[in-house]
Amino acid sequence: MQYRHVQVIDGKGALHGIAVDRHGAIYAAGETEIKVFDAAGRLERRWPASRPAWSVTVAGDGTVYVGEVGQIEIFDAAGKLLNTWRDDKLLRRVTAIGFSRDSVLAGDSADRAIRRFDRGGKFLNNIGKDNPLGGLLIPNGVVDFGVDAEGTVFVANPGKHRVERYAPDGRLLGHIGRFDGNDPAGFTGCCNPTNVAIGDAIYTAEKAGPRAKLYDFSGKLLAVIATDLFDPNCKNMSIAVDGRGRVYVVDTVKLGIFVFERVSA
Amino acid sequence: MSDLQTRRDLFSTVARGTVLAVLAGGAGFLVKKANGQVVWQVDASRCINSRLGEVGVAACNLCTTECVVALSAVRAVNEYSRCGRCNICPAYFNITSAVNELGQPSEKLCPRDAIRRRPIGKVDPEDPANNFYEYVIDEEKCDGCGKCVMQCKEPLGLGSITLRVRYDKCVNCNRCSISTACPQKALMQLPVHQATQPAEVQRPG
Repeated sequence: MQYRHVQVIDGKGALHGIAVDRHGAIYAAGETEIKVFDAAGRLERRWPASRPAWSVTVAGDGTVYVGEVGQIEIFDAAGKLLNTWRDDKLLRRVTAIGFSRDSVLAGDSADRAIRRFDRGGKFLNNIGKDNPLGGLLIPNGVVDFGVDAEGTVFVANPGKHRVERYAPDGRLLGHIGRFDGNDPAGFTGCCNPTNVAIGDAIYTAEKAGPRAKLYDFSGKLLAVIATDLFDPNCKNMSIAVDGRGRVYVVDTVKLGIFVFERVSA
Repeated sequence: MSDLQTRRDLFSTVARGTVLAVLAGGAGFLVKKANGQVVWQVDASRCINSRLGEVGVAACNLCTTECVVALSAVRAVNEYSRCGRCNICPAYFNITSAVNELGQPSEKLCPRDAIRRRPIGKVDPEDPANNFYEYVIDEEKCDGCGKCVMQCKEPLGLGSITLRVRYDKCVNCNRCSISTACPQKALMQLPVHQATQPAEVQRPG
């Protein structure tokens, strides 16, 4: 399987987490703002967040959830603030946000765990915390995860060189991945992958040297999407995939979103 | 007295004052140095081994080869508060060596085997990836070659290891031979209270 690089979207400043909605619009959490780009990469609109924004996701109805320091802000599609969930203990730094069935998931990097809430903001359970290490191994300071259509949560656990699979209630179901400093099928360095997205397969982003890859759900490497396009000093490169299989990867140094599309099956 | 004479007198006074101030400053510096209050230290933001943005280059070992002290007065130091305590530490392992049966690199990075590794906390003997590890540099073995520093820095590591002058080894030369050789001008004379602070790597720009 091969990918080709088709576009670089100017991030218009800092880029942390990104997400793509069902229409192909790209949402990016900036320093303290949300930026929305159309499918062609043009900046459509932007609005401020009240605190440093680390992650963003879009619900099916267009509601935008933004993970921040100490809180989650919920906006309508136009950027009007609808609600704020504040919790200085459970939401200390929300570097990933998503949905699993009827619940909202927030990756709290300060506590190395994922929090699961109901849609009203009531805390339900942790994911990735019930282990001898008391949480995920994230030397890079970022928790990231993706969720499949069944609600299974795929979590980057870079210190273990794995993508772990959890049930929404926090049960560890399995993992893929292993360390290897030479074989591209493995994850290299101290701690990779740093970021993950789920579509028809498992998409990963790594640092040092930065690269994006694609695995099937059994852990078989399907493709190295890109390596040498990214600045070598990149880390914590958010990755997203849209319904057409286009892959979006943030270059955290060049401050752009690199877009790739599949050219062969 | 004319205006011209007044200005000349003023300039003369200022010039004399400036020269005296410079001499006094220099004398103060020498007195401090003589008292051991000014010492050599590595500026981690200049040292190519720790400076951010320098990736894919070989480690510089001039601190090893140029120091007049046998085994160099410059040693690698791990700042534990910044260490990730990783299972696969690129400063400890040669991460491009073949993977062994434990899923780890089979070779160490340090040519002098100067880094010790041990699991800490609640240890899982079944799964090496399920532990935190402590990395301790044996300063009696370390010769400051900088290989671990280069591998530890961001983005590959967290930059917890830097090169530092150890004052029980350093003879505090007037002209440090490492500073003369260092193309980055990373060896600096600093007051003791500054030189003994933990190394900080400032981001470029």
